[in-house]
Amino acid sequence: MTVMMKVKTLATAAGFAAALMVGGAKVASAEDVTLTMAVPDWPPTRIMKKFFDEQYKPASGNTVKLDVDFIPWPDFYTRVNASLTSGEQKYNFIVSDSQWLGAFVEGGYFRKINDLLDADPAFMATFKSIHPNPLNAYSTYPHKSENYYGFPQFPDVLVNYGRADVLCNEEEQKNFQAKYSKKLPCTGEELDAMTWDDFKNVGEFFRRKKGEMLAGKPADDDFYGIAFQAGKGYDFSSMQINGFIWQMGGDTWDETKVPNGQAEGVVNSPEAVKALEKYLSLIEYMPPVARTGTMDIFKSDELFREGKVAMNVDWIGLGEASLDPKTSKVSDKLVFGQMPGTLGPDGKMIRWSNIGGQPFVLTTWTTDSQIKEAVEFVKWWLSPDIQHQFAAGGGQSAIKSVYEDPKYVTYRPWNRAWAPQLDWQKDVWHVPQFFELLTQQQDQFDLAITGKQDAKTTLDNIAKFQQNLLTEAGLIQ
Amino acid sequence: MSAVVIDRPAPQLFEVAPDNWKLAILAGLVVSILAALALPASVSFWIVGAMAALVAAAFVVNAYRRGYYGGLLVAPAIAVLFVMNIFPLLWSLGLSFFAYQSNQQSIRFVGLANYVKALTNDLAAPANWHALINTAMFVVFTVAAQMIVGFLLALLFSKQFPLRKYLLILVLTPMMLSVVASGVFFTYYYDPTFGILSYVMNQFSNEQFILMDNKVGAVAGIVFADAWMWSPFVMLLVLAGLVSVPKYLYEAAAIDRVSGWRQFWNITFPYIRGLLMLALLFRTIEAFKLADLVILLTKGGNDTLTISYHLIRIANEQNKTSEGAAISYLMLFMVIVLTNLYLYIANRRSQGA
Repeated sequence: MTVMMKVKTLATAAGFAAALMVGGAKVASAEDVTLTMAVPDWPPTRIMKKFFDEQYKPASGNTVKLDVDFIPWPDFYTRVNASLTSGEQKYNFIVSDSQWLGAFVEGGYFRKINDLLDADPAFMATFKSIHPNPLNAYSTYPHKSENYYGFPQFPDVLVNYGRADVLCNEEEQKNFQAKYSKKLPCTGEELDAMTWDDFKNVGEFFRRKKGEMLAGKPADDDFYGIAFQAGKGYDFSSMQINGFIWQMGGDTWDETKVPNGQAEGVVNSPEAVKALEKYLSLIEYMPPVARTGTMDIFKSDELFREGKVAMNVDWIGLGEASLDPKTSKVSDKLVFGQMPGTLGPDGKMIRWSNIGGQPFVLTTWTTDSQIKEAVEFVKWWLSPDIQHQFAAGGGQSAIKSVYEDPKYVTYRPWNRAWAPQLDWQKDVWHVPQFFELLTQQQDQFDLAITGKQDAKTTLDNIAKFQQNLLTEAGLIQ
Repeated sequence: MSAVVIDRPAPQLFEVAPDNWKLAILAGLVVSILAALALPASVSFWIVGAMAALVAAAFVVNAYRRGYYGGLLVAPAIAVLFVMNIFPLLWSLGLSFFAYQSNQQSIRFVGLANYVKALTNDLAAPANWHALINTAMFVVFTVAAQMIVGFLLALLFSKQFPLRKYLLILVLTPMMLSVVASGVFFTYYYDPTFGILSYVMNQFSNEQFILMDNKVGAVAGIVFADAWMWSPFVMLLVLAGLVSVPKYLYEAAAIDRVSGWRQFWNITFPYIRGLLMLALLFRTIEAFKLADLVILLTKGGNDTLTISYHLIRIANEQNKTSEGAAISYLMLFMVIVLTNLYLYIANRRSQGA
């Protein structure tokens, strides 16, 4: 018996024993089922728990308890990763970032759900009513295959947060018009029509020192035009830069082209280099913290809520705090639009962007009785009524009939930018090598953002690393 | 002279008795090897564990019957040490010779390949080496800063002055705060928009002051935060030395009109040297493991990635368990060599004095 076989047998046996024990402990009688769930601690998951406790009545007549571990975002991956790899088999449901699928499916932790969908036509119908882009990003592995794993928990896209009081100010409008011979975007529709060049103009135009006039008053602190993520941590620059690269005709390593898709020559193509240069050229118009490599999605959001910037491109998931006067100095001055795009050669707007948000997945050790209740719960969660309530409470829905409902845009000011952007969402790297790809790329982007390295060198380094790693892993031949 | 009372003679090798540890070892070895060969790993693991427990029990009974009470008294501590410390340490040493990722179910023996990769691979080795150099830099700067500031603080607090007691508590507070709390505090302190540091510096120049946008600033920021937290620790140790110096030595020195500097060098310093060395040793070992402040303040940006953070990324975030284990052992080896070298020098100097 080889060592490898032995470990496999060990894992199977341990898994079996644990399944027996967990099953035995959790399902004391047929009527009591507990579903344990690991989720990040933020409004979209708090709302889900609240809805469940208040409204959920299992059709089976069983008593179903949803036991939720709310884990702070910065710790979330570490905790989930530790729980899964240690083999403690604690969670039945896990909210997972879409890119974790490969790593945890290959590890044998995430359960394939095709059999559950096939067994239940109503479930399948609901599932298929999810917009194909979020569905592919959140559920398929290999990417865009027919193997399904997850359900949308909180789907998310990047939108443009704007300060209406500053942008719509008459004096500013006049000066902007005089300087750029263009109207300063002020309404949601005008924000939608922005290109990155317009975004840059806003950045350049609104750079004010403390005491200089801003919207008819002297600025009480330094003020900046624009912000977006440019941080070294987790994926806090890649998720923005990918959009630039795709919009300007470049590409990232494409996992759907395995094993023929290359990294070298693609990742560092001239188009990609140009796109990265464009991204980097905007950094100088942002709050100075961008130059330290710590401008993550939370920092740019904080700067926006504190009234230090006119526009911020960020995830919808962080939006609730900017609406709340307790956490936001700009809560009554907001306007939202789609993320800026790039004009194509035919004059049409190209809006590719990296999808955000998270699916939740079932784990492989979940017992039959738990699975039955879990499926019921997911069907309930994805039902139009609950999805409407979720969206009205600050969530988002990727179910077609829900987001196409005219009521949908009235729930939150950014919802108008939601549906039109769904067709433009892409995702990267659902492969097990995700974390190595990500950390190396984030390190390289950080060097470029902090001005230590030019765009070409950065993408050359990334391409070389990816080519090497993915060739070793057999994903590039 | 024999204080140990032997109740009965030691049992023969094949006599079945609870205190026959030789037989226990033999039986344990045979059963373990058979189990490892014949049974699945999930079962044999527990059988080997049970055999280890059997041998340990035989030793205990033997020690009890022969009256080796000293050994019996330390046995629980050794058992805990073994289970919690030595066993995992050996386990990870074993892992470092395999290709193993904690999120995958396969494992393969690769000999020294992980070590070879860490030391010679053209992508991995320079990264490791670079992180190690950064660590060395942080060791030198943070330890030097803490030793100097801690020492000066101790000199200050060895004197009596009004409110000394309360100020002492204030000075000790940073040491008791969690690193995360101080880290978050310093991110705001250094923040160019919200932070007071940039606010003050901007009053003196037109240029926007950003501390953390270059390596010098980022290192200075981390070293300052670390010194802020750990200088009080050095101060506590040195202060303990300072108050133990007998007053009469200073009085005698005053009568002889010895200069302040000579008083310090010939009276004070010999008393605190041992404690200074101890503080230096503790802080050096800790500084080698610096990762938390780096994660909080720069995420390793501006070339501040330390070997510990590098290791966290490899072993915990990327799940490359065995590669991480290999690097950890290389690091452990280095720390042991350096510590011994240091102890050797310290001993020689104290003997020479």
